[in-house]
Amino acid sequence: MFYREAGQFKTSYEADMAVFPIRQDRIGLAIILVAAVALPPFLDSFVVGTVLVPFLVFSLAATGLNLLTGYTGLLSLGTGAFMGVGAYACYKLTTIFPGVNILVWILASGFFSAAIGVVFGLPSLRIKGFYLAVATLAAQFFLEWCFVRIPWLFNYNLSGAIEAPSRSVFGIPIVGASATPLARYYAILAIVVALTWIASNIVHGRVGRAWMAVRDMDIAAELMGIRLLRAKLLAFAVSSFYCGVAGAAMMFLWYGGGEAKDAFSINLSFTILFMIIIGGLGSLLGAFLGAALLHLVPIFLKFGLPELGVPIGGATAEHLTHILVGALIVFFLIVEPHGLARLWATTKQKLRAWPFPY
Amino acid sequence: MSAAAPRPGETLLSVDGISLAFGGVKALTDVSFDVRKGEIRAIIGPNGAGKSSMLNCINGFYQPQQGRITYRGVERRQMRPHEAAEQGIARTFQNIALFRGMSTLDNIMTGRLLRMKVPFFWQVWRHGPAMREEIEHRRFVEGIIEFLEIEHIRKTPVGRLPYGLQKRVELGRALAMEPELLLLDEPMAGMNLEEKEDMCRFILDVVRQYGTTIALIEHDMGVVMDLSDRVVVLDYGRKIADGTPAEVKADRRVIDAYLGVGH
Repeated sequence: MFYREAGQFKTSYEADMAVFPIRQDRIGLAIILVAAVALPPFLDSFVVGTVLVPFLVFSLAATGLNLLTGYTGLLSLGTGAFMGVGAYACYKLTTIFPGVNILVWILASGFFSAAIGVVFGLPSLRIKGFYLAVATLAAQFFLEWCFVRIPWLFNYNLSGAIEAPSRSVFGIPIVGASATPLARYYAILAIVVALTWIASNIVHGRVGRAWMAVRDMDIAAELMGIRLLRAKLLAFAVSSFYCGVAGAAMMFLWYGGGEAKDAFSINLSFTILFMIIIGGLGSLLGAFLGAALLHLVPIFLKFGLPELGVPIGGATAEHLTHILVGALIVFFLIVEPHGLARLWATTKQKLRAWPFPY
Repeated sequence: MSAAAPRPGETLLSVDGISLAFGGVKALTDVSFDVRKGEIRAIIGPNGAGKSSMLNCINGFYQPQQGRITYRGVERRQMRPHEAAEQGIARTFQNIALFRGMSTLDNIMTGRLLRMKVPFFWQVWRHGPAMREEIEHRRFVEGIIEFLEIEHIRKTPVGRLPYGLQKRVELGRALAMEPELLLLDEPMAGMNLEEKEDMCRFILDVVRQYGTTIALIEHDMGVVMDLSDRVVVLDYGRKIADGTPAEVKADRRVIDAYLGVGH
């Protein structure tokens, strides 16, 4: 009833091409953004640190993978490794040049990841589908090997771990032991909002259309004058950039250092892939919904249920998580291959027509 | 590199002694014909005669083993499909090759990709030059949408459209490239009479309004004979006749190819 576009006339192509052409959508987005900025100070810092920060990190990585897999149709299992490249690049950069703003280095580390992504994207011109997935799997294993065997990457630390040094932005520590979860949250929020806006611009323009054309019918795409290798490599570069930034943010804004080689394993690649499958391939909203679901369900089972008075042990909750996530993936593959984002779109369509069926 | 665009009536494309084989299977053997600027040229023949292979050679999907293709006075042997697109050759497919996940509008907008030059740096912000370019091409695409009378399905994902409309969107996508030479591979296959008549009208209008040269493959003889200026007939990969519809219709070898020969 409140979700109607009647009376909202568009008088220019610019208005018609807006990302959110319906006024109610724009209002909704504004409310979410305001809430994301205004609410966290009132939340428990444990919630901010273990729920919101990881959610944003996962969303960013899922957005990156979605640009590659959802929009360009190239399946990748190297996400974890590309995130690792970002984390190690950021670590090296900030220890070599400690004076530079850490946010600059988190973003700059994306470029290192992008370069590595392009190298491992080269086979994508010749191989597709599962075979490409296996090629990116090679990237995962090779890079993981590098993370362990090249001590220069972790500054010859005996434990092989990354130590997050203390870094401040405008006098507020956001990395290191003294950084509060709230400060880290605002740092990652700023990064995620900016990069999501850019991703939305890219996919709604010329480049996004070229990517989707390659995904849907590469022969016809070539015929429209698209150079396949260039389009695919650009997708790998942009996607890996996002993953690299997410990896750097994960290590410095969430973990605060640690055994990186375990963090950026193949499990992380699969987790991100499941996020975009459940959330919705080829949808930016889907990356966020998928990240929310896959990250929040385990937390809810582990901490939420005991709070509600349901006696459940930590181990049981973990097993339950595996069962639920597995069931969810099978459910979505069968019922709604386009994921949560499509469900949301269908709901909106129903709302528009309500109370009539169509 | 390309010579001045030919005037109406001059030769736009000439195919000379093309032979194409896949292993031991000969798809085309020594085929030669030409397409003049501004005409509708039909390629007909029984199933498996090599018609689609011929189009694939022209726009660079297949590389013929022998022969020359001269386009706009420039001879060439090897070409990638995107190079053909850059030189103004567009085509539609026998089995529709639309981008199924995208809307009608986005599908037709992909036809403008070659003409959109604003660098990636501006694309990232979707403001300034990138937005101006987007609007300029949107205006052109809206012209095509109006021309093809598909305004009502502008925002519909093409996967949901009925077959006849999909064919029309595919034509629109090819037209958005503003091609000099348009290759249509069975534009009327699987259509009912009304849809065929619509499509014929669009094809004639394209030639008249945009000055496009068309080479088309079609099985409906009534349509071919009415539409085209000249017809080339292939059978088992060889050219068996070439001429006006009336000449071809009277050709003994064409009749034999279609109806069989009494032994």
